[in-house]
Amino acid sequence: MNRIIILLSLLINFMDSDNRSDQVITRQGQVSFFSYTSVENIEAKNNQVLSIVDFSKNEIAISMLMNAFVFKKSLMHEHFNESYIESDLYPKATFQGSIIDFDPLAEGIQTKMVKGTLTIRDITKEVEIKTSIENIDGTYLITGDFEVIVKDFEIKIPPILAPNIAKNISIKFRFEYQPYEK
Amino acid sequence: MSKKNKITFSLITLLLLGGLYIYFEFCNYTDIDIDKVSTEIKTSSKNLTASFIRNEKNANSIYKDKIIEVEGVVKEVTFLNKRNTVILYGNNKNSGVLCDMQSNQIMEIKKLVKGQNIVLKGVCKGFLKDAILLNCMLINQQSNE
Repeated sequence: MNRIIILLSLLINFMDSDNRSDQVITRQGQVSFFSYTSVENIEAKNNQVLSIVDFSKNEIAISMLMNAFVFKKSLMHEHFNESYIESDLYPKATFQGSIIDFDPLAEGIQTKMVKGTLTIRDITKEVEIKTSIENIDGTYLITGDFEVIVKDFEIKIPPILAPNIAKNISIKFRFEYQPYEK
Repeated sequence: MSKKNKITFSLITLLLLGGLYIYFEFCNYTDIDIDKVSTEIKTSSKNLTASFIRNEKNANSIYKDKIIEVEGVVKEVTFLNKRNTVILYGNNKNSGVLCDMQSNQIMEIKKLVKGQNIVLKGVCKGFLKDAILLNCMLINQQSNE
């Protein structure tokens, strides 16, 4: 009788793991950036960032529309899209990378490095980002921050506006994932 | 230039600079009131997602940064990241229309139910896995019941 119960529970576990998706998704990830200078502070948020994590390979992919960043002032939005990012020519920014030494089955918070490539304006740079990953009953929350150097992405800022824009831009992100049912 | 003219000129310059400062500092906000701008294109959530999936570049040239009115069926209402978002079913299981609602829509959004047919209006920003609309507002409500 005991053997039958053990066998049944193993089978149920196997079926369960077979049905469990290895991928999680968010369509409403949040990415914010901040530029702090003595002249002015510029801040923008994008709340419609797409990200998929594949736990079978611990790979992460992120994609966002540059024109979906919301600024406090319309002039900032205009400069960002038309002059700096040129979002008509380069509408998306993407990131592809791997979460190093991550155990998706461990509950609670893990601090891990994510290594990968960030592409803005068709220019790709290697980045390494310290992230906090929280597993709450199979839903995952990934948060973190890092800096990008404006010059790395060949963003041209007119000399008259140079004092208004920081040379290093702080980026913050927050992704709350759900199982991805294809 | 007489002394009086100099004073008048200086005052006008000061007023202009002050006006510009006030405009850039306080009046120049991104948030548009979608209610006050007219619709440029009317479509359904199924057609919108289908055209982006078929040819994203072409769909961007039609819809991107346009004020569009979209008719569709509510898939989900979320309040993630302190935003009010309505997701409409698209033409397949994986793609839909993600509508970031204006803050004044909160009461109407709370009444929405899954499967309800609605029409909303917003600014189309492009496509990732879903078509993305910002500054959205409901323009009528039809209950399926």
